[in-house]
Amino acid sequence: MNPAIRTQSLSKRFGRTVAVDGLDLAVPDGAIYAMVGPNGAGKTTIIKMLMNIFPPPAGHAEVLGIDCRKLAGKAFSRIGYVSENQEMPEWMTAGAMLDYYRPFYPTWDRALEQQLVRQFDLPLKRKIKHLSRGMRMKAAFASSLAYRPSLIVLDEPFTGLDPLVRDELIEGLIERAPETTIFLSSHDLAEIESFSSHVGYLEQGRLLFSEEMSVLSNRFREVTVTLDSPSPLPENLPTAWLQPQTVDCVLRFVHSEFDEDRTPRELAERFPTARNIAFDPMPLRAIFLAVAKAGRSRASSQQESINVKENAA
Amino acid sequence: MKQVLHIFAKDARHFWPEILVSLALTAAFARLYPYQWLVASVTGFGYGAVAGGVLPVLANALVILVPISWWLLISRAVHGERLVGNTQFWLTRPYEWKNLLAAKLLFLLAFLYLPLFIAQCLLLAEAGFHPLSYLPGLLFNLLLITGVLVLPLAALSSVTSSFAKMTLVLLGVVVLYGGIVALSAGLPSDTTGSVASPLGGHLALAIVLCACGTVLLLQYAARKTLHSWLLLVAIPVLLCAIAIIDPDQRLMNRTYPRPAPDAAAPVQFQYLPNQFQQAITNTAGDSNHFEVDIPLRVSGVADGSEVNPEAVKVAMEAADGSHWESPWQAVYDQRLLSGTEDAKIRFRIRREAYEKFKSMPVRLHVTLALALARVDRVTEIPLPASDFAVPNFGVCSPRTGWFKEPGEIIGINCRVALRQPKLTYVSVLWSKTSCSASQPEPSSGVLGAVWVGLLDNDPAEFGITSVWQTPLNFSNIWESYQKGSGPQPRQMCPGSPVTFTQYSLSGRTQTDLTIQDFHLPGLAIGDTFLLRMR
Repeated sequence: MNPAIRTQSLSKRFGRTVAVDGLDLAVPDGAIYAMVGPNGAGKTTIIKMLMNIFPPPAGHAEVLGIDCRKLAGKAFSRIGYVSENQEMPEWMTAGAMLDYYRPFYPTWDRALEQQLVRQFDLPLKRKIKHLSRGMRMKAAFASSLAYRPSLIVLDEPFTGLDPLVRDELIEGLIERAPETTIFLSSHDLAEIESFSSHVGYLEQGRLLFSEEMSVLSNRFREVTVTLDSPSPLPENLPTAWLQPQTVDCVLRFVHSEFDEDRTPRELAERFPTARNIAFDPMPLRAIFLAVAKAGRSRASSQQESINVKENAA
Repeated sequence: MKQVLHIFAKDARHFWPEILVSLALTAAFARLYPYQWLVASVTGFGYGAVAGGVLPVLANALVILVPISWWLLISRAVHGERLVGNTQFWLTRPYEWKNLLAAKLLFLLAFLYLPLFIAQCLLLAEAGFHPLSYLPGLLFNLLLITGVLVLPLAALSSVTSSFAKMTLVLLGVVVLYGGIVALSAGLPSDTTGSVASPLGGHLALAIVLCACGTVLLLQYAARKTLHSWLLLVAIPVLLCAIAIIDPDQRLMNRTYPRPAPDAAAPVQFQYLPNQFQQAITNTAGDSNHFEVDIPLRVSGVADGSEVNPEAVKVAMEAADGSHWESPWQAVYDQRLLSGTEDAKIRFRIRREAYEKFKSMPVRLHVTLALALARVDRVTEIPLPASDFAVPNFGVCSPRTGWFKEPGEIIGINCRVALRQPKLTYVSVLWSKTSCSASQPEPSSGVLGAVWVGLLDNDPAEFGITSVWQTPLNFSNIWESYQKGSGPQPRQMCPGSPVTFTQYSLSGRTQTDLTIQDFHLPGLAIGDTFLLRMR
């Protein structure tokens, strides 16, 4: 099955700043793919390139099998796009906005529209400009879900929303999940952990990993090794061990390539005198924090070595 | 088409206040503009606003207000789905760009072009013209309005994100234009007053139409704002280039071809060396240039012909080998008929060149670009007391004054449809005695005459009005106001025959004249306009 979204070496710079750096991404059809990363990681830029809001200057991307540079007009009748900073026809009432959008979409489902209006408790007679942030998002969701799009793209959809509204929107989204692919960006891990099937982590324009949520959870473990005597942090640790630290007799690190069969055996061989080796599953938030901190630590080490070389030269 | 109508309907609902204002202003314009004609028929002020109360003033204001309302309308329509930015709601909706553009065009068609077209038809009908007879002119006028107003405003709207930003850009353009004009006035240049080739205007219009049209297409099809801005900036650069290239000899040679060697010259010129001459300058304005008249004896103009020197180019050569050559410069108010004996061809010379050549005899080579015309139609009409139609010209009204007795006519105002009439020589005998005293003898009158119109003109002139006023300012009009210099013609009387002699362009050519021993005249500092009048 073709992926709903596929990119190859997608890149974008803003002046001297690299916003997206050679992104290779595949979002499987039917997935709920969450692209996470800190602010400024390039999530919105990627989405805007995918939506052809600005065409990618380098690389290639396909959305529903269409080259994203050619994404326009009718192609958007299969795509629902909601963004936290997207403008809306402010002067229209919520009802008038739905009335206006309806004829653009051959697949618009009037019954679903009414269901969404009820579900979101949307005030149809109120002008968009008079709606609260939560209500605006609900209106945006209703107008982007009512035509049963094949792909729903959401750019930071839950930012700044109260938990109740967030849950309502997620619930509405999950109801659509069986018939669509959902691609969303977020920097809030907790909000996507509950319903995402796939996750990608973006930092400084680069995708550090992209995989199924279950695989990711299985791959990361917080490892605690209790040694028989206090010892310093060993040198030349594997790169898959993130954030290693020792306190007295305890060595702790995050194993990013955990394998249920292989890893315990390898650790037992490496620490033959260890009194205990524990492997604890990690919540998504802890995984990302570990990856992010490790990434920054690597970057600062590289910068330091560059500085040292430059000084020496 | 469904999507076009859908977007159009949304815009019509959204922008109803702007539409209403624009329609009201256009309707008011159509209703009030004819008051100007009434005022002119009494006071003689062709664009009179002093008399007649507030309505003619309002009509004048509407000529400005209506395009301002279009400015707002165009901006609102385009910015409704703005093309600049990356957060617009419509970008990720199934909008087809062609449909969006078509919807905006439909909007302008319905709320700008159609009301204007109706207003222009109403004005034509009110002025005594049948609108359907002027359909090509009306459509050409809409094309001019598109090129000069609508397309540039739409193109500017398409590269800005809001009315405020568009207004700022427009103000910037005005300031830039003012700066360029101020700068060019201060520069020592011979090109001021250079003649514009008839091709130049059309070329400029074509450039504006093409460039603005391309910007619109580029923005709607691909939202290439940077490219569009570059294209917009290129327009004034190209127009400036045309202005510079315009007087170029090759273009002039094409427009005014040299006659065949064996062809008879349409007119002969001979220099009159003993005529009084002064080089004059306008101290209030441009003191870097002087104007020099070349007095000429004219002969050889055939009966029924008219020769119009439209441009002059002068080359000056001194015995010491020094040389100066002017660019092509426009010549004004010289119309040569078979009976014309004298003419003065005026050219501009830079102060430095004048100072250099003033004390030495020079060999002056004068090249004149001539337009040749032949009588096309002569219409003689006994002057009626009320409106009268002149075939192929317009509708004219006798002009009375505030202080004249009833029936005494001090001038004629004409209304013409969409453009200046063909070049016409209008003549009438003015009576020396009161019209009411006795029927004046035709031979006792004094001839008053005036040239109006153009030899070659487009189907319409640019303007939101479809009816232009052409006051006939007869040659003796100033004399009639002078006191104490003997009997002066007082007025035209009803029944006086007014002759309209219309000319058609028969060709254009160049002719040369070499003056071997020419001395630049002495300098008189004064006001050019006053010197001309005297």
